[in-house]
Amino acid sequence: MLGLGVERLRADMNRLLALLFHQGVLDEQFLQLQQLQDESSPNFVSEVVNIYFQESEKLLRNLRSLLMDRELSDYKKMGVHLNQFIGSSSSIGAKRVRNVCVAFRVASEQNNRLGCLRALELLEHEYCYLKNKLHELFQIEQQRLLAAAVRYPVQH
Amino acid sequence: MVSMSGEVATCKSEATVVTDHFPVGLRVLVVDDDVVCLRIIEQMLRRCKYSVTTCTQAMVALNLLREKRGTFDIVLSDVHMPDMDGFKLLELVGLEMDLPVIMMSGDGRTNLVMRGVQHGACDYLIKPIRDEELKNIWQHVVRKRYNSSKEPECSGSLDDNDRYRRRSDDAECASSVIEGADGVLKPQKKKREAKEDDTEMENDDPSTTKKPRVVWSVELHQQFVSAVNQLGIDKAVPKRILELMNVPGLTRENVASHLQENQKFRLYLKRLSGVVQQQGGLPSTFCGPIEQNSELGSLGRFDIQALAASGQIPPETLTALHAELLGRSTSNLVLPAVEQQNLVQVSLQQAKCIPVDQVMAYGQPLLKCPASISNSKHLSQAILSAEDVHSGFGSQRAKNICMSGPPEVNRSINVQPSCLVLPSQLPGHFQVGDSPASISRAGSLSKSSVIDYGVLSPQSNNSSGVVQVLDRELKPECGLNRLPSGGSLSRSCSINADNSVDLQLHNSSSAFGSSKQLPGLIPSHLGSPVPYCINSSLVLDQGRMKGASIPSRFAVDESDSPMCNFNTAKIYLEETKVKQEPNMNVMENAKVGPAIFQKFQPGDLMSVFSD
Repeated sequence: MLGLGVERLRADMNRLLALLFHQGVLDEQFLQLQQLQDESSPNFVSEVVNIYFQESEKLLRNLRSLLMDRELSDYKKMGVHLNQFIGSSSSIGAKRVRNVCVAFRVASEQNNRLGCLRALELLEHEYCYLKNKLHELFQIEQQRLLAAAVRYPVQH
Repeated sequence: MVSMSGEVATCKSEATVVTDHFPVGLRVLVVDDDVVCLRIIEQMLRRCKYSVTTCTQAMVALNLLREKRGTFDIVLSDVHMPDMDGFKLLELVGLEMDLPVIMMSGDGRTNLVMRGVQHGACDYLIKPIRDEELKNIWQHVVRKRYNSSKEPECSGSLDDNDRYRRRSDDAECASSVIEGADGVLKPQKKKREAKEDDTEMENDDPSTTKKPRVVWSVELHQQFVSAVNQLGIDKAVPKRILELMNVPGLTRENVASHLQENQKFRLYLKRLSGVVQQQGGLPSTFCGPIEQNSELGSLGRFDIQALAASGQIPPETLTALHAELLGRSTSNLVLPAVEQQNLVQVSLQQAKCIPVDQVMAYGQPLLKCPASISNSKHLSQAILSAEDVHSGFGSQRAKNICMSGPPEVNRSINVQPSCLVLPSQLPGHFQVGDSPASISRAGSLSKSSVIDYGVLSPQSNNSSGVVQVLDRELKPECGLNRLPSGGSLSRSCSINADNSVDLQLHNSSSAFGSSKQLPGLIPSHLGSPVPYCINSSLVLDQGRMKGASIPSRFAVDESDSPMCNFNTAKIYLEETKVKQEPNMNVMENAKVGPAIFQKFQPGDLMSVFSD
């Protein structure tokens, strides 16, 4: 029964991942991230993603405060933040977030305040979606690991 | 000798393992303010079995690189960093450390990549970085080493060429000229100028109008050199040089790029100045070295080097020539108390050329007395007398000088490695299984490493420990303590070393050897002090102790017949010296090489250890 649970959870995970890939939320870089997880760093993916969340939220806050400064928005600084956002998002395979960041950067280079605001909203939306989905993924992963751990004594 | 046949296999496999695993342990410094990327790249690099150091701030990275000179093989740096532009870091690293730097950025727009290239990045990776890209970064390390071992020749001849060209150009542009247009430039020159121009461009907006180009005429170059000398070679930073030169129109960038171009030249100068200073007791007048440099430059760099580069002179000959050349003028040399930075770089080259030297120096006696014990005795006597008799000194000094001599020497090794060392020659450049290493193992009277320490020891401040160890162990020759140069000290130790002493040294070596590195790398350690020399003093110490390289001596004792063969081959090489059939010689070596190689088993060495 528990063994079946493991299989079911694995299937759930794969389905969620397939969905995220299909939606373009994630790309193959995320798979590379998963491949980097090994015995020496068993929680590598969640570790990195959590760092990513922290950093991203910092960046989003900064971007918003830069844009809210109605008079003199520092577009150059915005560009710097966006470059970092692009780098980290693409590194974990957050494809859609990255794409929005690129659009955002274009708008900031054109000193297009309206475009920037729109892009920021979209970015926040995409980021939230990604965060929720990844949390979901990690939760299933946790359950799967628990189930897998339980199985061994049963098999005895 | 007991279980020889079994150990042949061991050695073989070990040798191949070493070369097969070449990039393993490549020391990478990653600098990125983005912790996400940093973590991912770190993990990827670990997966490649590289040794990774990460850093989120460029300044910290720079300090790390400055403090621990020689402990990194390659640098990966982000472009956008808050405390320092990645390009700035790249420039500084290029100027000071001459390490390969790979830039990374999420921004792959052409102008940015172009800036990276212009600043001297050896690669520009666009995020997301994939592990396939990182697996390959070792090639930059190899390429850099490979090029820099050739470069002295290139830049040397280029320098000279330039000087000649400038002389001929002088009629046209009499003094230091700042040109606005490139119309007058000759094709070759044009290329050079274009490069300079590029490096200038990076510092400013590429879109700005053309800046005047600086032609480094003889006068201007002399001014540059004297400014450098006035400042002291180590403190010569572009800004100060510029201030001292006080040439209108010259910018810091001009000076910086010229300085960069002359880095090799600078090292060379440094070394020579160290030598001459010590020798003639000239204080810090640098004109001596400069003159000498130009003298030697024409001879050492140009003719001989060129020949050697074209493979016409076997490396031994080259070394011999160098020894002669340098030995004459500096027979009274006290080892230069060079500062460490210099050292590190020098030592890399030294290490490379020692083996050659070795063969040249000891090959003959060995051949004469095939019996193992008499071998060592004979040798020790020979050397001892060399110590005592002053004239004998000359030759030894000459070797020292040769070792700390012009960087070109290692180029000679490029000619030779492939022949002796079966594994590919590239890995050799990096760490292990160096071909010179195997030569010295083969020639394995190889006090090579010991000599190396000797040469090195005066350089690092805390080297005294090592020297002391040697002193203590080699009481028979305690008179040596008085010898001024650490080099001769330790050398005589090692030479003097017969079995009993060897054992003592062994103890020390096992005590000092770093446990981590010993097992896999033993064979290469014996022969190649290279990696350790490159490292900071601490590592150097390990290298020294390990490299005590006595094991190889044992190996010699045990198998002298192949040695003889080998030496015959070597001597043959020496005798034929000039040109003729370099390839034939090389082939000869190649044939002899493997046989000997197999005789020197790590197992043997290990058994010695366990003794």
